[in-house]
Amino acid sequence: MSGLGGLDRPGAPASPGAWDERSEEWLATETLVPETDAAETGVAGTPVAETGVRESRVDAPPTSQEPTGSRTTAPRPTPTRRTGADPVKALMHRHRDLCERAVDPLEIAAGLEAHGVTDRTAARFLHRDVFSLAEEMYARVARDGETPPSPPRLPTPRARADWILLTLLPGALCAAAVTALHLTHGQSRLIAAAAGALAVTLALRSALARGPLATTHATRPTATRTCWLLAYALLGDGLLQAAATGGPDTLPTGTADGPWPLTTAPVLALALSCAPAAWCAHVLAVRARRKLSASRALEDFATAVKPLLLGTFALYLGALTALLTLTTTALDEPAAFPQTLTLGALLLLARLLTTHGFTHAPALVLTATVTAEATALTALFTARLPGCAWLATPVQSLIDAWGPAAIPTIACGVGASTLLLHAARTLTRASAHTTADQSW
Amino acid sequence: MLVRIGLIAEGGYPYVNGDARLWCDRLVRGLGQHEFDIYALSRSERQEDEGWVPLPPQVSRVRTAPLWTAEEDSVVYGRRARRRFAECYGELVAVLCAGGAGGAGGASGASEDTSAIEADRFGNALYGLAELARDEGGLVGALRSEAAVRALERACRARGALRTAREARVPDLLAFAAHLERALRPLSLDWYEDDNLGSVDLCHAASGGSAALPGLLAHHFCGVPLLLTEYGVRLRTHYLAATDSSPAVRSLLAAFHGRLAAETYARAALVTPGNAHARRWQERCGADRAKLRTVYPGMDASRFAEVGEAPECADPDTLVWVGRVEPTKDLVSLLHAVAEVRKEEPKTRLRIIGTPSGPEGAAYLGHCRALAAQLFPDEAEGPHTVGDNPVSFEEIGSPEIPTLADAYAAGGVAVLSSVVEGFPISLVEAMFCGRVTVSTDVGAVVEVIGGTGLVVPPRNPRALAEACVALLRDPERRERLGAAARARALELFTVEQNVAAFHGIYLEIVSRTPVRRVVLNGAGAPLPFAVPAEAHVPGRWTERSARLVARGGPARPTDAPVRAGALPRTEAAR
Repeated sequence: MSGLGGLDRPGAPASPGAWDERSEEWLATETLVPETDAAETGVAGTPVAETGVRESRVDAPPTSQEPTGSRTTAPRPTPTRRTGADPVKALMHRHRDLCERAVDPLEIAAGLEAHGVTDRTAARFLHRDVFSLAEEMYARVARDGETPPSPPRLPTPRARADWILLTLLPGALCAAAVTALHLTHGQSRLIAAAAGALAVTLALRSALARGPLATTHATRPTATRTCWLLAYALLGDGLLQAAATGGPDTLPTGTADGPWPLTTAPVLALALSCAPAAWCAHVLAVRARRKLSASRALEDFATAVKPLLLGTFALYLGALTALLTLTTTALDEPAAFPQTLTLGALLLLARLLTTHGFTHAPALVLTATVTAEATALTALFTARLPGCAWLATPVQSLIDAWGPAAIPTIACGVGASTLLLHAARTLTRASAHTTADQSW
Repeated sequence: MLVRIGLIAEGGYPYVNGDARLWCDRLVRGLGQHEFDIYALSRSERQEDEGWVPLPPQVSRVRTAPLWTAEEDSVVYGRRARRRFAECYGELVAVLCAGGAGGAGGASGASEDTSAIEADRFGNALYGLAELARDEGGLVGALRSEAAVRALERACRARGALRTAREARVPDLLAFAAHLERALRPLSLDWYEDDNLGSVDLCHAASGGSAALPGLLAHHFCGVPLLLTEYGVRLRTHYLAATDSSPAVRSLLAAFHGRLAAETYARAALVTPGNAHARRWQERCGADRAKLRTVYPGMDASRFAEVGEAPECADPDTLVWVGRVEPTKDLVSLLHAVAEVRKEEPKTRLRIIGTPSGPEGAAYLGHCRALAAQLFPDEAEGPHTVGDNPVSFEEIGSPEIPTLADAYAAGGVAVLSSVVEGFPISLVEAMFCGRVTVSTDVGAVVEVIGGTGLVVPPRNPRALAEACVALLRDPERRERLGAAARARALELFTVEQNVAAFHGIYLEIVSRTPVRRVVLNGAGAPLPFAVPAEAHVPGRWTERSARLVARGGPARPTDAPVRAGALPRTEAAR
């Protein structure tokens, strides 16, 4: 680097302001062919630059000052080139993307080096090294007037046919199973019931394995608890009623009018509501992502998401009510709105929380609900032991006051409202909606 | 003396498809007198599945950890731990929001003090988080929590934050928090106990960035000296790679990587850049000049010995270009240069030997072929012979050129016409082959070639042509420069010099900053004189054969003292 004096240095502008303006006009009038990398130069195959931009790329004529000291080329007359008075400006123009994008001088330095600018090139711009050249470029980029680019939309999950079909499957299978129960008798009804239960369970499993209700987090196993709750919805009220009146004397016959009646309508409605549940979760995810990209502060996001969450929840409850009305009418069973709606709410909220990574609370609340229901049943049966009759008193008085549906309604209702409060706190956090890399 | 080295590699050594595995492998195999513990961070699941390279016996232990995934352990912080986390994390992001270390190089006076304080804050926050992870665990979950995002938001909106950070929106905050969580995963590893990295004599980080983090923590927790080797500066790679995020995320990430690099350079006992270019970046990022030792990468010279020792077999009229065909290699310029050369020396031929890299390279190769066909018509020796193009495109492995050495042997002059180049490996290979080279003045070319070849400005076909003509006309000079190039390469770029340099550096570090370990007895009390002087003499003093017991001397205690590492107590290692 000793012999730089011999290089054809461009003169430094005496008064930067005027030169800037002039060269700006001059640059603007030229046809600009920004040169991005060596490939384009090569492709163009033009050994001599013809645009203003490239002219000011200061090609020092081959000189005798090769750093190796090996004299390779004789000085030759420079082709007549107009050299911009402000070579750094031209360089900035050539790398304007880099300059505008750069967040600090080192980024410009890295970018320049990737484009083949070395310290020896920087010397032609009267700089000691690439770093100081980059610093000048960084300092000269006008940043005040520019508006920050509109934030890019975050990718939102798309509704896909596979999970939509899968969420329809439990409802369809459950409807088939209920039909089979109604059409068969005796042994074959038992088989149909067993097969139906198995099929619906498997379908539920697969419906929850993908789509908006799937979870990528390590979850606590809540399948047993969910199954218990569903089984209670199917058999529990009948059993409770029978137990309260001294039964049951036989196993359920699979009809709604035996001594231990089966309430299939709520379960069918819940199975059918898999699809709206998935859709609600999907809507929540998509809208939350939109709100995420639109909000500037975490508080804004929380405020914007809360009504969304509640709206989605209400939407699901509405859908479940409609489905329940439908199934009750179709199966001609007594309406069981309170216990089914609370159970649906509980299951949806538990799943939503699990999906967003909050696995602790749902597991806890589900366990509590299951325990409450089981305790009620056990209390009734234990009360038959001599001296324990007092155990049945609270349950019995509940049943006497509001009927057997009171037990699951209260248990699920308390659980669901706990989870709703929890969800209103946790699902409105921005960090709950970060899992953008879900494949669905 | 026997040195136990903890070699830390990220996405590298023991994995079959690791980055710098060849270099690490040669290093480990070349230093059989030392003991190596390998600590590897894997970069992807695929990398883990593909397995390891065979390891030599001096590797006594391999520990791996994934960087691509992190399991949340079910640790729920108590109030005190939460407050500790919030303090450390808040401090860390506050430093990052205040700007990177990038501008610190040019700072002076009062701002230098400020930047030193900021660097100190960064280090303290980092070690605070590491200590929290060591004491309580659960750092992954905490870094992903809402508390972290809130702390980040607060730091971004604080007074004195970077302009870009102030503009950060919620997605930016989340994205940066996720990046930071990923970058800080090494903090949650259980490598910093006395029986892991605490038991080595020195840590050798094979690259900066994530790989240097375990080394930093080992230095912090156990006082193990850190040696950092960077063949490519990680910070620079980061700048070139991260371009699609928003400005806020990029500026914060740049600040983090800059701070981390500065902290690593400050704590490392020695830093070994692979070339002057890396060295300049390291100096720029705050590395102390006294700590820098350039260690050139080593290459296997034996492949080229036969060709290098028989320079007369070269075809004097042939120029040869070897490398991967990419747009940055500027073959077009080379073709134009050869066209100029052929005006003066009509018998000149050019052989372009290499495979295209990627679809872009393939398109570029096609373009170059077309250009060559346009520039150079086929020519024949006489009216009755079949003609041939003076420019040929070939690949290594074809019958004419079975090996890399044959590629260089084919020509009298090796040409390098790149416009962008890092460490020019093909140039070193040509030097090993004793070929004179004409290369463009890019990257580390001048540093590699020294005075043993011609260097011309990039994108200057005329200068390239003139240099080639000068050499083609002067066989004596060609031979002289070729011999000098080979001598230089053998001196500087062999595996042996690389290994010997690291051997010396290891010994230097261990002698200058030895790890003082206190040996404890069974009750946990320190045992004076428990580390015998033999521990510091050459050879494996622990081996039975190497034991020299003076006749009549005191009998060795039957229960041998245990090193502090074998005990659960950890503070002994300080």
